[in-house]
Amino acid sequence: MNEKILLVDDEADFLDVLGEFLSDEGYCTGRAHNAQEALAAMEQESFHLLLSDINMPGMKGFELIKEARRRYPFLKSALITAYDVRDYINMAKDFDIGNIITKTTPFNFEEVRLLVRNIITEEIFGLDHYVKSVIRSVAVSSSSAIETIIQDVVGSMPTLRHQRKFRQALNEIIINAVYYGAKQERGDRKDAWPIDVELASDEIVTVSWGADDEKIGVSVMDQKGLLKKKDVLFWLERNTTKGDDGLSKGLLDDHGKGMFITRESIDRFIVNIKPGNKTEIVMLNYKEGLYDGYRPLWIQEI
Amino acid sequence: MPPSSHIAAVLLVGINRPSLESQLLRHGYTPVSASDMASIAAVEEPYALMLINEDLFNGNSVDFERMYFLNGAAPAAVLIADSSKIGPSLMKLLTEGTLDWIHASDIDAGLISSRIDRMVVCSRLNSHFRGLQQDLREKAHLQEEIDLRDHILDHERGLNANIAGSITSGLLIIDLNGCVIMLNDNVRALLKLSAGEYIGSSYSKALRGKMRAIVEDFLKRVRHGPMHHEIKKISVDRMVIEIALYKMRDYHQNVNGVLMLINDITEQENTTQQLYRAEKLATMGTMLSGIAHELRNPLAIISARAQMALVKESWDRDWMVKNYQSIEAQTYRCATIINNLLDFTRYRATQMALHNLDGILDETLTYVEYQNSFDSITIEKQYQPDLVIYGDRSRFVQMFLNIISNASDAMNGKGNLTLRTRSEGKGEVIVEINDSGSGIDPSIKNNVFDPFFTTKEPGKGTGLGLAVVYKIIHESGGEVWFTSEPGNTTFFIKLPTGMNRV
Repeated sequence: MNEKILLVDDEADFLDVLGEFLSDEGYCTGRAHNAQEALAAMEQESFHLLLSDINMPGMKGFELIKEARRRYPFLKSALITAYDVRDYINMAKDFDIGNIITKTTPFNFEEVRLLVRNIITEEIFGLDHYVKSVIRSVAVSSSSAIETIIQDVVGSMPTLRHQRKFRQALNEIIINAVYYGAKQERGDRKDAWPIDVELASDEIVTVSWGADDEKIGVSVMDQKGLLKKKDVLFWLERNTTKGDDGLSKGLLDDHGKGMFITRESIDRFIVNIKPGNKTEIVMLNYKEGLYDGYRPLWIQEI
Repeated sequence: MPPSSHIAAVLLVGINRPSLESQLLRHGYTPVSASDMASIAAVEEPYALMLINEDLFNGNSVDFERMYFLNGAAPAAVLIADSSKIGPSLMKLLTEGTLDWIHASDIDAGLISSRIDRMVVCSRLNSHFRGLQQDLREKAHLQEEIDLRDHILDHERGLNANIAGSITSGLLIIDLNGCVIMLNDNVRALLKLSAGEYIGSSYSKALRGKMRAIVEDFLKRVRHGPMHHEIKKISVDRMVIEIALYKMRDYHQNVNGVLMLINDITEQENTTQQLYRAEKLATMGTMLSGIAHELRNPLAIISARAQMALVKESWDRDWMVKNYQSIEAQTYRCATIINNLLDFTRYRATQMALHNLDGILDETLTYVEYQNSFDSITIEKQYQPDLVIYGDRSRFVQMFLNIISNASDAMNGKGNLTLRTRSEGKGEVIVEINDSGSGIDPSIKNNVFDPFFTTKEPGKGTGLGLAVVYKIIHESGGEVWFTSEPGNTTFFIKLPTGMNRV
């Protein structure tokens, strides 16, 4: 590998341990304690990935990424924070940032490894990246099959936490993949969607599920790549940012809430997009008590 | 006959008779002339008698009374009439106040000198009588005034009693010797005084303990010195009592006693305390969420370090030391964060101590910096090193937190916040908190420290933030003020260093 990553954090101790971890993973790491140091370091050598803390004295992470992208258009970037990612969704939308890693307790090295790997390699599709063993993969070719598949997924996961919420999320994602992703029905005309639809071979949606020691995971993938990172950020922002009346801006929107609710009701909500090619949504749920804290923002468009 | 020595002047009005003038001169009278009634006022010389030509009146009446009144004890008037009979018009004039009349023929006959003498005497008696009358009139007037004053006094006495009885405060008035002059029923009720007479006795019969000491002290300072008034709060029998003492002055501005208003403000105090506690809770909410956030950083580091150690296949000593030192340092940091919160939340009497000013400001910043609203705010610290302040740490943090939160609101999440500290000599420091926000509208600059005053939307501010700031600073013996224009608002906080206490 030997890809070069520039780490930026005013927490010297954190910078040290994360740097050590990524070095152990085979990356070359540069370290900076603030935005100025980071910009100076990038003038000295080029990096593949800029991974910056958000909240630092002086220039914050968002501005740093904006400035770095302006100078180095091909630089990849992600943010990391100890704080609530929901508070940053509006900034993420404004700065077009899809990845915000969270500093959880216990610290989730596995997730950091995966996210960094995903960003650098852009090999993002496939449930096997996210859980160690994939139990099954099935093709959805008709809307009538959705309920059965959900039964199968849930049935094969006896230790599933928050089963009802998980079911609901799964239902939302598969239906969206079939109607919106494959059939390209309009999201704002949900009540006009036909009850029964058949999918052609180039429309088929694949649902995979699997598990490992720490978590279970489901992937729902279409073959269209219609969803856009900007749209995901837009709808998440509508539902996390409060308007002047103190209510969320998207409260009265006729669609877009499903995505937000899904992200809220499961531990990890991952959106992988290759425009015009495929969209994959991966949902992960950890075993009880693991990685409590905030959910990362994990949207990648390649 | 040689002229006699001068007796008096006689005024002749509208009379042109040389024989009269020569007769007067012969008898020691100096004749003075006036052409008509209107010119009488211009006569400067004092005259004892006025002779008036009847013709001047042409039968019209004249208001002699008024004339006398205007001229004070004016000499009597005498008519010179041509006719020898008293006709109706002459009679009318005589009854209206003319003293006498003289026939023109008598003048011509040179028969008037003795009559003039009598009339001058008569006129003088008249004047004297009028003077007496005037005195009497004035006395009657005085009596009326006295009656009126008595009436007002009665009214005021009643009013005083009414005020004393109507006000809900306890009213106690003592003279400079401490003798009770007035004491209303509220004082009896508030202080649970036994029935009995207190008026005329020393105030120490009615007041005990702390209250007696306060009055004693005030009285002492009132006798000498410029003390005007004082308001004290004391707790007595689970009640909070406010006693307001005023210097009382008499008509001539001499201090003659002390007036006291005594109120039971227990309920009011409780409400205020509750409100301030609510504000403290609101502040705590901000701090708590700040603390939760602050803990995530060290916890993530501790977890990461421990996991690294667990998977490490071989440790060298340096690596191990670094790893455990980091864990140790981060646990210590967690403990400090939690202790700060405990310090703040613990309900306890104010604990006064010396604190490092930088430390307090930095701690305050940790509670807000994580907030989304601070992302685009550049914080600049210009600290003069090694400054200390004296007071309660948690209250200082709360005070700075309120000012900084307001500053961030004013900037609407974007701008510059500058914290500047400097020594002010004489044991004081000044903290300046400057923001580049929208500024404080001049129309509300006198209200910003008022409790419940808020410019925020309903539900967004308690309106107590700056009131609490004000309270904390003043209780610490400091001062707060601000300057503001759009884009540049500075709060100045002056605090005692307490160095003289060390």
